[in-house]
Amino acid sequence: MSGFASIVRRELASVLRDRTMLIAIVIQLFIASFSSALLIGMLSLYDPDSIGSYGGLNLTVALVTQGNPANPADPLAGLLRDRGVKVLPFASLDEAQAAFNTGKVRAILALPAAIQANAGLVQMKLYLPRTQATAALVQNTLQDPLKRYEVYLRQQRGLEVRYTDLKGQAPTAFEFIYSVLIPILMFFPAFVAGSMVVDSISEEVEGNTLATLLSAPVSLLGVVSAKVSAAVLLAVIQAAAWLGLLSLNRIAIQNTAWVLLLAGLIAALSAVSSACVVCLFKDRERSQFIYSLGLLFAAGLSSLLNISPVQTISRLAVGDPYVGWLDVLLYAAVLAGLGLVLLRGVRKLAI
Amino acid sequence: MNPIFTIALREVTRLRRRFGEGMSPLTVVLLLAALGLSAFTLRDRVTLGSGLYRVGLSGSAPSIQDNRFAVVNVDSAQGQALLAQKTIDALIIDARVLYRQDSKSQYAVGALKRYLERSELARLSTDYTYDLTFPLRVGISYLDPLPAPAPPGDGATSAATPAAPDLATQADDMVIIPSLMTPEAPFGQVLLALIYILPVTFTSIFFTSSFMDEKANRRLTILLSAPISPFQIIVGKMLPYGIFALAMTALIAILTHANVLLALAIYVPTILFIFAIYLMVPLIYRTFKDTTFISMLVTTLTTAYLVFPAMFAGVSDLAFMSPLTLAVKMYRDEPFTWREYLFPSLPMTAIFCLAVFSATRLLNEEYLMGYRAISRKLADAIYLVMDRTHPYLSVGLLSLLSIPVIYLGQLIILAIASNLPPGLMLALTLFAAAVVEEIFKSMGIVALVEHGIVHSYRQLLGLAFLSGLGFLIGEKLLLFFSVSMVSETSVSNVLFSSSGLLVVPLLAHFAFTTLTTVLYAKVKLRYTIAILLTAILHALYNWALTGGLQ
Repeated sequence: MSGFASIVRRELASVLRDRTMLIAIVIQLFIASFSSALLIGMLSLYDPDSIGSYGGLNLTVALVTQGNPANPADPLAGLLRDRGVKVLPFASLDEAQAAFNTGKVRAILALPAAIQANAGLVQMKLYLPRTQATAALVQNTLQDPLKRYEVYLRQQRGLEVRYTDLKGQAPTAFEFIYSVLIPILMFFPAFVAGSMVVDSISEEVEGNTLATLLSAPVSLLGVVSAKVSAAVLLAVIQAAAWLGLLSLNRIAIQNTAWVLLLAGLIAALSAVSSACVVCLFKDRERSQFIYSLGLLFAAGLSSLLNISPVQTISRLAVGDPYVGWLDVLLYAAVLAGLGLVLLRGVRKLAI
Repeated sequence: MNPIFTIALREVTRLRRRFGEGMSPLTVVLLLAALGLSAFTLRDRVTLGSGLYRVGLSGSAPSIQDNRFAVVNVDSAQGQALLAQKTIDALIIDARVLYRQDSKSQYAVGALKRYLERSELARLSTDYTYDLTFPLRVGISYLDPLPAPAPPGDGATSAATPAAPDLATQADDMVIIPSLMTPEAPFGQVLLALIYILPVTFTSIFFTSSFMDEKANRRLTILLSAPISPFQIIVGKMLPYGIFALAMTALIAILTHANVLLALAIYVPTILFIFAIYLMVPLIYRTFKDTTFISMLVTTLTTAYLVFPAMFAGVSDLAFMSPLTLAVKMYRDEPFTWREYLFPSLPMTAIFCLAVFSATRLLNEEYLMGYRAISRKLADAIYLVMDRTHPYLSVGLLSLLSIPVIYLGQLIILAIASNLPPGLMLALTLFAAAVVEEIFKSMGIVALVEHGIVHSYRQLLGLAFLSGLGFLIGEKLLLFFSVSMVSETSVSNVLFSSSGLLVVPLLAHFAFTTLTTVLYAKVKLRYTIAILLTAILHALYNWALTGGLQ
């Protein structure tokens, strides 16, 4: 057993010495910060519910009432102001256009001369700057108040519209954290673990150092499983560190133990299957290629069969009472099966 | 036969031999299965967060077809009990939605709000006439933002006619119904554009392995002693993969009904860029793990660099720094200009040329076989790339030619920093940009100092001047191409333009590079500390230039 432990120790030491692990951690940090930057960027430019909520919205719009002092009951100006848009009223289009040309307003919203509040179509005009970027921003910002105005018009026309007073909180960031960020942080180390096992074993085979290693009191299976264990251990440490960092950021994670166990099981699955692959092909090039293809295949298959570890881990983390240890232990069963395959496969490495 | 083709054939034979040993059927099956499955799931639109919310339905509540919501059908009392137990996050009873005050329930309601809004629209439009359901029409017209000389005469007359108030007799460019409008985030098109990159990335596994193989089997020595130049070896090895990548690009273009020639024009610089990066990996690796980790880093960074700007296609002109934006435009049937094409393509092609040139200088046994720290390996690489007999020319050219690399690095910094709070963003961008610039301007000189080729103050000053000059020329050339494209963001102005005078920036570049090299060569500070000190000064200087001292 001491041979096994010393190989594990040697593997971990080499990872620490080469500082290659640092690169993997940098990648994960980069993915996390990058994807949240992307999310916030997308939200602040495209999502009508979130535009302006990340600050920096400074939009003034001309509201042209066409010599028709707006109906005091007409809520449009109020809806616009609720969204954080500054509204300048104008009596005529010409005055509004002058303000547009001097840069006082960025867009012109012109109401029809007569609005029938309770019948017929209301046809407005919206004048946007030709610059594509500004036009898209203004249009996305105005969408929400215009939608609310539409609801008002429907109600005026006697339509019963349900669920208009729902508020809640904008869920995009929440969904992103639990369905993208946490699965990435929990499973990326697993992906790294598989690649590490391929590298570590194929390097011994291609560099003809496996024989030297076997002169120590340890079997071939011992060497392979020690390398697998070291990789899985590293993955679990990373996953645990991410869980710690997430909770420092006040992101509540339910069922922490199960989440960590699932992350470890997936890392073990990935490491054991990559060990099987490298036992079969023995060289890095083919093994890495088949391993990557296999991952792609497994991802496709799991979403096809609807047993996705991504879904399980995000449900566990969010605290869904319908998901529990049975869903996690399913993967332990798969792991046991793969372990048996490795047990037989290791013999091929000796030849 | 041309030696390039000989090498290319040898590469094909190597692959055939490696993959011919009884694994080809397995590979083909796996490849097809993986491609088929991923295409299937992509077509099915991967919806994230499946089953994230539990919602109870009761009475006449609409059925929910959105896999983010896991639905439980309950009666009203049972539902309220489940809601109180936190087993479900929200409960819909007829037209009422019940929820709790905790955040999970609030998020569920926020998500439900959007879903129910849409399902209500569907219900209304079947129950009522179209015009009653959608009583509001907004006609959109685009105005030129330039100040008009005088209000147009016909604008006044048409404003007088109450029926069709039309500004400058403009017809509507389009008419929208607000509740039916969806924001045009180019998710689908970016995903489609990214599919082109996948085979190129996979190819790179073999391309990288090819060099590693030669190294492991010590065949490189034999190859290098043959009458073949390193350039021919590199191009020859790249050729089969290049042809494969082009064929895949054409194939994907045909399958997605895109213009094949246009797709090739868009993706060739990107393919070259990815090859350039993967060409560098086997040159600096020492162990197999290095290769894996460096490749992972490279894949992540390039994917980010390609995807991030493209997500803002049509919203910000900076989106054109990624060639995927051109592909998005292609799939939207929108035209783009030559400038917009060259903006991402030129730097990528330039980086490819630079990488091939560096690789020809590095392709020697002594360098490839040495096991040293990665930073040491990089320093050696810089030294080898330069022509030691012409140090002045080398240093100047090194600064000039690294401009595209610096430029890509700074754009990545900009893209990442652009979502920080404004003050922090400016500070971080200025500092990080200065660090990148100072490293590239001084690294050649430092490598020469290290190898004892340069020691006197006079030499240091001369080299620093040429490095600054080379950098300035490169910067101005870049500016020439990009000023119209990136002028929109003020930060890019800070990075790429200077105060108009040429003498001031030249002096500044000269002074900063001199400072770094003198700190390193004469004061004997560590290189990292010398860079940090200079970068702080440089960042302060840039900050002052942009009006920070007002």
